[in-house]
Amino acid sequence: MKKFFTIFCFLIFLFSCSPKKVEKGVVIWHWMTDREEVFNKLAEKYYKKTGIKVKFETYAPSDVYREKVRAAAQGKLLPDIYSPLGDLRELASFIKAGYIEDLTPYMEEGWKNLFFDNILRQNYYDKDNQWAVKEGYYGVPIDVVSIQIFYNKNLFEKAGLDPNNPPTTFEEFIEACRKLKTAGIQPFVSGFAEEWLVNVFCQSFEWQVLGEEGIIKTIKGEIKYTDPRWIKIFKLFEKMSNEKIFAEGVITMLNKDAERVFATEKAAMALNGSWGINVYKGMNPNLKYGVFLPPKLKDARYPVKIWGSSSFLNVNALSQYKKEAIDFLKWLTEEEQQILLTKETHNIPSNKNVINYIEDENLKNFASNIDKIFPTLPILEHWKVVSLKCRGLQSIILNQKTAEEVASELQKLKDEILKEQSL
Amino acid sequence: MTTKKPDLNGLLFVLPAIIMFSIFTVYPFIKTFQMSFYSWDGISPIMKFIGFKNYKDILFNDPLFWKAMLNAAIITFLALTVQNLVALLLAVIIDKGVKFNKFFRTVFFIPPILSGIVVGIVWKWIYDGNYGILNAILSFIGLKEYTTAWLSNTKTALFSIAVVHMWKGFGWGFVILLAGLQTIPKELYESAAIDGADDFKQFIYITAPLMLPVFFIVSILTILGTMQIFDLVYSMTRGGPAGATEVPVTYIYKYLANNELGYATAMAVIFGLILFSLSIIQIIISRKLKKT
Repeated sequence: MKKFFTIFCFLIFLFSCSPKKVEKGVVIWHWMTDREEVFNKLAEKYYKKTGIKVKFETYAPSDVYREKVRAAAQGKLLPDIYSPLGDLRELASFIKAGYIEDLTPYMEEGWKNLFFDNILRQNYYDKDNQWAVKEGYYGVPIDVVSIQIFYNKNLFEKAGLDPNNPPTTFEEFIEACRKLKTAGIQPFVSGFAEEWLVNVFCQSFEWQVLGEEGIIKTIKGEIKYTDPRWIKIFKLFEKMSNEKIFAEGVITMLNKDAERVFATEKAAMALNGSWGINVYKGMNPNLKYGVFLPPKLKDARYPVKIWGSSSFLNVNALSQYKKEAIDFLKWLTEEEQQILLTKETHNIPSNKNVINYIEDENLKNFASNIDKIFPTLPILEHWKVVSLKCRGLQSIILNQKTAEEVASELQKLKDEILKEQSL
Repeated sequence: MTTKKPDLNGLLFVLPAIIMFSIFTVYPFIKTFQMSFYSWDGISPIMKFIGFKNYKDILFNDPLFWKAMLNAAIITFLALTVQNLVALLLAVIIDKGVKFNKFFRTVFFIPPILSGIVVGIVWKWIYDGNYGILNAILSFIGLKEYTTAWLSNTKTALFSIAVVHMWKGFGWGFVILLAGLQTIPKELYESAAIDGADDFKQFIYITAPLMLPVFFIVSILTILGTMQIFDLVYSMTRGGPAGATEVPVTYIYKYLANNELGYATAMAVIFGLILFSLSIIQIIISRKLKKT
């Protein structure tokens, strides 16, 4: 009897460890919890239309989502639709491991014509890409986000600035900051604790000074970071730091903190993404603001460009519901669904035919500048170099390092990486 | 002569625990060590064996890792001294039987049980250069010239985090030290008092020697706990400004987030070995002191 009881307990333990039964249908993992409601609405609509169940599961914040996706990939437990939330280098690892479906045949059927080409190409690999991924389209953009500078019209007016004519050149930008400071207003805020944001601001100057060719040559090591053009870019941050344009504590602010500072009218300008429109609406519905492009440099050789991306979704190549997943994404990017997404989430739709349905004036401004989004480069700078550049920029803002010191540290690291890569 | 048969029933009952321990402790430990010899992005099916290269790079070519170690060491030094002295002082006062001692015991133990991330976010608001209550208080009492963006200033950021860490951590030391103090027989103090020893002498000649093993336990726990600090740093500064508050775990996390699993695990192994060595040294010193 005792033995029987022991074996019984052991069997219960074993069976309690058996895997959970998975419900049939398409499962999507997303990282934006604020969209859960509209996603569920769309899933219900799709079920009524096709009889196919779609389940959205949201996991936030995005870095937690990223980790979840990576852990699931190692256990081959990825859902039918997801996103690795990474650059082309990281996406390439997923594709090469067989976790992402090549969508080229479907895109070539005409699907690709729905999207902005420069956005769609962010998940596209050229023929001779550095990661040796088969040429093609691997992701479906759901919406578009880009980054510009928001400005508070009331604070501009208070400082004697024209609220309908924000600065366009770097000189005008500095002059506006001076006037704001004189009026006792913090001029500029952003979440510069997040390295990528300080990098985005710097990149808007890099594209003007170096252009695509110059940036690629730098990545290849043909232009050094100690080149006068790079020093000039870093000097812009020195100038902004000396003019004390940055809000108190900008270097340790996450973007959420910076959004609060701008929404509560503690700073007059904020470098932020188009998602900010929705955020500010929630934080301060009466905020009167506009948006403008990053300032143009006087002797820039190239036009102003801005950072932009999309919420790409990728289809799991190992999914047993691959066809259903692709069909759902096709349906999701159709005009009707895109209009609903735009109205409910206040984002720029990825379907370019829906642009005219945008109601918000500021979002219209963002949408009108989609053509200015940085083109996707065929090669990427090493993350360590990018990280050191961001830290260097933070040091310049803190007046701890000069532009020349940052440039020389960067070049030293770049040389080491190039040497390692050549071995 | 009869030989006792192994008790199969007993084995079956501990089997779940052994399985769990093997899956969640032994296997990750072995896997971490194995991965440290590879270059791997965490996704690719192919792992490239590179021998000791990661170790060589960390030991001889990564000043940022050692800067992170130094930052953690500074916080640890402050925790070992200031935090534990405060904990000891409070434990001695409570042990004397002050009024409301149960209330104080509970209050002192609240910070350690709070979530590190929550504490970090709350203190981030306290330190905030725009809204922070600390700056508001300083301004109110006429010390406006001392206001700063505490976490954005490279001179104050690390110490600001250390203060929060000590505030959050002193409760642990307090509880252990208080438990140690309560094991000392009261008769010893009474005899010493009859012999004319004042409070200070009683502390030096009775409390301190008898509390030595407890001091070592608290020290080991403080070192291990503080060197591995992560949640506070991550929620308050993410290692910034410009790397001024980077600690080993945030640095390792950064490499993990950038899919450099081989390098990150090699750092974790080195870091683990350093902590292990520190603990061994402390145990040896503790034993020697006990003997003397």
